[in-house]
Parts: sequence; C-alpha cells; structure tokens
Amino acid sequence: MITLLALDNVGLTGRDGPRLVDVSIRLHAGERVALLGPSGAGKSSLLAVANGTITGMSGQVSWRGKPLTQRSKRERCSIGTLWQDLHLVEELTVAQNINCGALGRRSLLWAMANLLVDVDQAACLRCLQQAGLTQEFLDRSVSGLSGGQRQRVALARMFRQQPELVLADEPLSSLDPALVEELLTTLLRRSPNSPADTLPSCTVICLHRPDLIHRFDRVLGLRQGRLVLDAPATEVTQDHLNELYQRRSVPPPPRSVR
Amino acid sequence: MKRMWRRPSPALLCLLPGLALVPVLWVVGSGLHTGGLESWGLFLSAAWRPSTDPFLLQSLGQGLQVTLATALIGWGLSTLLGLLVGIVSSDVLWWSHRLPTWPAACLRKLLALPRAIHELLWGLLLLQVMGLHPWVAVAAITIPYSALVGRVIRDQLDSLDRRPLTALLMGGSSAPAALLTSLGAPLQPIITSYGGYRLECALRSATLLGVFGLGGIGTELQLTLQSLRFNEFWTGLWLLIVLSVGLEQVLALWRRQQHHRHSPWGGVMGISLIVLACLIGGLWLNRLVGDSGMPLQWMLPPWPDISAIQAAGQELPWLTLLQQTLELTLCAAGIAIALPPLCLLLMPGEPAKRLLLTAWTLIRLLPPPLTLLMLLLTNVPSLALAALALGLQNAGVMGRLLIEALDQQSRQPQKAIEATGAGARQVWLMGALSPQSRSYLAYGAYRTDVILRETIVVGLVGGTGLGWMLIESLSSFHWAAVVLLIACFALLTLVGEAISDGLRQHWLQTPGEASTT
Repeated sequence: MITLLALDNVGLTGRDGPRLVDVSIRLHAGERVALLGPSGAGKSSLLAVANGTITGMSGQVSWRGKPLTQRSKRERCSIGTLWQDLHLVEELTVAQNINCGALGRRSLLWAMANLLVDVDQAACLRCLQQAGLTQEFLDRSVSGLSGGQRQRVALARMFRQQPELVLADEPLSSLDPALVEELLTTLLRRSPNSPADTLPSCTVICLHRPDLIHRFDRVLGLRQGRLVLDAPATEVTQDHLNELYQRRSVPPPPRSVR
Repeated sequence: MKRMWRRPSPALLCLLPGLALVPVLWVVGSGLHTGGLESWGLFLSAAWRPSTDPFLLQSLGQGLQVTLATALIGWGLSTLLGLLVGIVSSDVLWWSHRLPTWPAACLRKLLALPRAIHELLWGLLLLQVMGLHPWVAVAAITIPYSALVGRVIRDQLDSLDRRPLTALLMGGSSAPAALLTSLGAPLQPIITSYGGYRLECALRSATLLGVFGLGGIGTELQLTLQSLRFNEFWTGLWLLIVLSVGLEQVLALWRRQQHHRHSPWGGVMGISLIVLACLIGGLWLNRLVGDSGMPLQWMLPPWPDISAIQAAGQELPWLTLLQQTLELTLCAAGIAIALPPLCLLLMPGEPAKRLLLTAWTLIRLLPPPLTLLMLLLTNVPSLALAALALGLQNAGVMGRLLIEALDQQSRQPQKAIEATGAGARQVWLMGALSPQSRSYLAYGAYRTDVILRETIVVGLVGGTGLGWMLIESLSSFHWAAVVLLIACFALLTLVGEAISDGLRQHWLQTPGEASTT
C-alpha cells in the first residue's frame, strides 16, 4: 500500500490552547477517509497542517517520504483542497476559476492569458461536467451562482488541479440532502472508465454526518485535538461514535484498530 | 447609576464640527470692511459678462492646455509609479513569496516622507533646484502623488480577501500567477475608480501650482485677479469649469461603464491609457512650452551647517507657528465636514440638493488661494479667513461625496421614518444621514489629514502658520530654516496621518465593534 501523506506526532498550539496533540496518521493511495469530530475538535487544523497552509507545528508531515515543505513545484499540485468557504475568485468567470486549478503546472504568461481570453476550454468543460455542471456555466461569473453551483465550481477547479490526494473541509455543510448525495458521489467516484488523470487517488472528507460513514473505507475521529478513532468504516460502531461525540473533559486513549 | 448623557450618535458628530463656523464667522464678520463691497459687486456681475477678447481667449486657451498637459503627465507617471511601489510595499507580495515582510514595512516608512510634503512645497523646492521649467510642475505632482497612490494600492492589496490566494498557492501555483489571478481582478475596479479621482486631483494641483507661478491657467487666473480684471478672470474660470466638469462627466461615464461591464481587458486598457496619457501629455507640453522655460538645470542649494540650523531653530517662533497651523487645520476641517450635511439638513429637498451640488462643484474647482484673494476684497487677512477659504474648498469635495453616497443608498429607512409622520428634516437626519454617517466621518478623518497638508497653500497667502514661514524662508534663501520647517511639517503631517488613520478605522468598524473599543 503506497503511503501518500504521513503525519508523525504532530502538535499544534493556537492562541486559545492546543489544537492538535500528538497526531499520527498515514494516508494511503486508494483510500476514502471520513474525518469526524465535534466542533472545535481540530479537524480544520488537521487539514490545514496536511495541505501545508499551517507550518510551524511540532512533529513531521511528509509527502511520499519527503518533508512536505520540500516538495517540488510539480509535487505541490498533488494535494488538492476543497475549502469550507470555497475560496473562489468572485470577480472571475467559472472557466477562469476552474483554470486556476492548473496554475501550478503553467507559466505566468498562461495565467495572464487566462485572465484575458478563453484558454483550455475543453479541459475546463471536462472538469465542469465531472463536477455536474453544464457548458452554459463556463462564461458565467461565479458571484451570480447559487451555493450548490459554487460548490461544484470549486470541485471542478480541484479536478483541474489533478491532485493525488483531496482534502475536503466540510463540503457538505449547508447543502440540501439531494445535493449532499450528488456531491459525495462525485467526490468519492472511483471509476476505471473515467479519465484517470482527473480523479484523485485518496480522498479525505471532513464531516458532521456520522450516518454517511458507510460510504467511506476508513474513519478518523478527532476530539480535543487528539486522534481518538482510526478504524475501517465497517468496524465503526455506534459506541465509537457516542464516545467520539460525548462531551468529556478527559479524552480516552487513542483507539487504533488497524 | 443611570448615565445622564450618552455618546453622541455619528449623525450628530457629522454636524458638531460646524461649531468651528462660530469663531470663524465672528472674526470674518468683525474684519469686514464695506469699502470692498463695491469690488465684490463688480466681481459678481463680471461672472455674467466675461471678456471675449480674442487675444485673451488665445492666452487662456494656451494656459488651459498647459495645465491639462501637466496634469495628464503628472497623473500618468504617478499612477504607474504608485502602482509599482504600492505592490512592492504590500505585505501580501512578500508573504506570498514566503519572505519576511519587514522590507515592505521599511519601504512604507520611506514613502511617508514624499507623501507628507504637499505638491506646492515640492514645486517651490524644485523651482529652486531646477529653475523655472514646465517639467517642474510635472515633477511636483508626480513625487507626492506616486507615494499617495502607492499607499492606497498597498492598503487595498493588503485588505483584499487572501483566501482565494491561499487556495491557489496551496494548489501549487507560483506566487506571481496566484497574485495576478486572485488579487488582480478585485483590484481592477478600485484602480479604475481611484485612478479617475486622481486625474481630477492632478488637474486641481496643476491649477494650484500655476497660481504660484509655475505656468498654466492658474497663473492667468492669479494675474487677472490681482490686477482686478474680473471680466478676464471669469473668462478663465468659466473655461476651467467647463474643462473640469467635462472631465468629471467623462470619468463618471467611464467608471459606470467599467462597473456594468466586467471586461477582462479593462486592466490592460487602463494601463495602456495611462501610458498613452503620459506620452500625449509629454509631447503636448513640449510643443506648448518647449522653448519658453529656462533650460532644465540642476542647482542644489547649499546644505546649511549644524550651527546655522541650531540658530534657525532658536529664532523661529515654533509654538506660535504650530498653534496657528493646528488652529487653521481644525477650523477648516470643521467647516469642510459639517457644512455639507448642515446645508442639506436646512434644505432637504431635491432641488436644493442639485443647487448645492452645483455650488460645491464651483467651490471645489477654485484653488483656495484664489478664494482667499476674493475674500480679501472685503476683509482683512486673518487665520479665520484662511480657514474659511480652505474649509469651503474641502466642503465642496465632501459635499459631492456625501450626495453621491446618499444617492446610492437604499431609501427604505427614509420611507420607514416618513411613515411615522416625521418632518422632512427629521427624515433626512435619521433616514438619510444616519446610515451614511460612519463612512462620512471616516472620510472626514482622511480629509482632515489632507487639510493639514493644504494649510501650506493658504498659509502662504494668509500670512499664518508653518506654510507662511516656509515660503518666507524660501524667498530669502534661509536654507537652515527651510530644512527645519520642512522636517517639522513632515513630522506634523505624519502624526496627523497616524491620528486620521486611527479615526478612520474606528469609524469604519461596525457599530457593535466600535462600542467595544
């Protein structure tokens, strides 16, 4: 099993106290991972550490055996993030936003061309369709889209990046049930017939919905910054979830089934 | 225990500075001399009978072209330079390259000095160094304007949402590509709007520099007013008004078009337009006055030695000069901030608003030294008169901004208060001014900072404050005093800028946030 991302004894302290405490996780190619935990458990901090947004923590984060900070420019594209508040560029069109995913592999001149003329429309369209939107959206400004449509544009941008690992920070919050199902299906798709280069190899989704864990291979649970659950999704019981979400000041010791 | 009083609401705070009008009008009223009333009558009646002498028209036309060309080059160069220094001095640029941000902070500190010195002072200093040459006015506008534009661009860049930038950087994008993509587009409308505003400012500055002998329509206006040729003065003024109003309308139209049509080529077109303005302005100015100025030279004045500076420091009446400058600033700022809302409160109807807008356009266009000269026809020189002239011009700027903001805001609060049976003035105060008052006060804080710099302009004419002493020292080649006075003025404006920044941030906070600070 190929290890993509490894977090070893990672600790992070914020202004209001510890956010992550001695967290060690290995993410492997081909995994679909659900990250659970009550609000303030450190889920977003964990994703920020994993994608390199937060540095200066204790412990080590490595990508394919190399420290995360020493990745080459091309390797930096390998981790894609679906941010909770999407982080789209409001002033740009859908196509321009989708092309932002390809900036890591392109030159500054290409970035300028993306702002001025239509570039790589076919690739944009393919990613847009994979995310569940139609061609007519390409030239629309993202500021005029609904919440669900914006979510899909962010997803299309992530597909355009062609990452090996996707970290999604609560992508299902504030979406209606039908949209949740569609988005989850898109995010977790593993079809050998699909163009392999646009589908990620490993997906980690931060959730507030324990009822959806049957869609995943593995479940990670964080509580008060500590990793308290790391088990195959099929082995996670209601007791595990109760323990994860109950409000107790002293967390239980890490439970590792694998 | 229950408090007997409460903090005044922002709407009231917009009107309270109007108390400055009481001492100013008292002094101006007591200094009034009836002998000048006849001159005022002649002056006003000349407005309807401007001179149409072909020679005069040709001379004024030439002056107007010089002013416009000067403004165009000064504006173009300062916008380009300002854009560059604004980007380099922004934290976000260094942060996105994973570099420490202290070089940006150092650059910002350095840029504070050229910004603190008014363009008129730059003009007078460069005049001593370079001689009387048309490009002196261009340089005098370019130097402080570049620093001003740079500061605005930097402020805007650092206040933009960094989350899209973070997303692109984390996605593997290079820093320049990520900056261009995530911040270029949101910055474009700000540059378009602010760039247009700076062109109007450059036109006003070019006119003002002309009043102090650097050529153009300002020189023509000054000469005609000083020789009491009111008909000729009004010919020049009407030409300037037509040009300024025309320019204002063109810029407003352009801004509206840019607002409705998010063209991706807007930024490229904007930059091309600025470069083109520089080229056209340069060629135009060269054709107009290429052979009329003294040859461009470089004569640095002798640097005064320490003993001369010490002697100058002891002989200058610092306390009086500082007191006069601050009094002038506070009185002028009070008038500038309070007069527009006071007028609109007293005359809340739509026709009165249009009338006031026209009046403010006229006041705004007339350089304060000329307003002061007009007021001197019926009054004795005083600090109050200088404050009135400076306050009126800035009230013109504030008034226009207030009306624009009022026109854009929702009318729902006014309708709701109207429905309670309140009178027109109450409706205007509570439903129109109140929602705008915080941003109006924030702009008022910025304007006070501008007024502090501009005290030099009326100080020269009114014989008061640091500005007056500075020009006296310059004309007598007392370089030790010049150095000290410039340093003092720069320090004062930097302190003023820091206070105004603090006030502006306070007023721009949401009411909830503000109350907790």
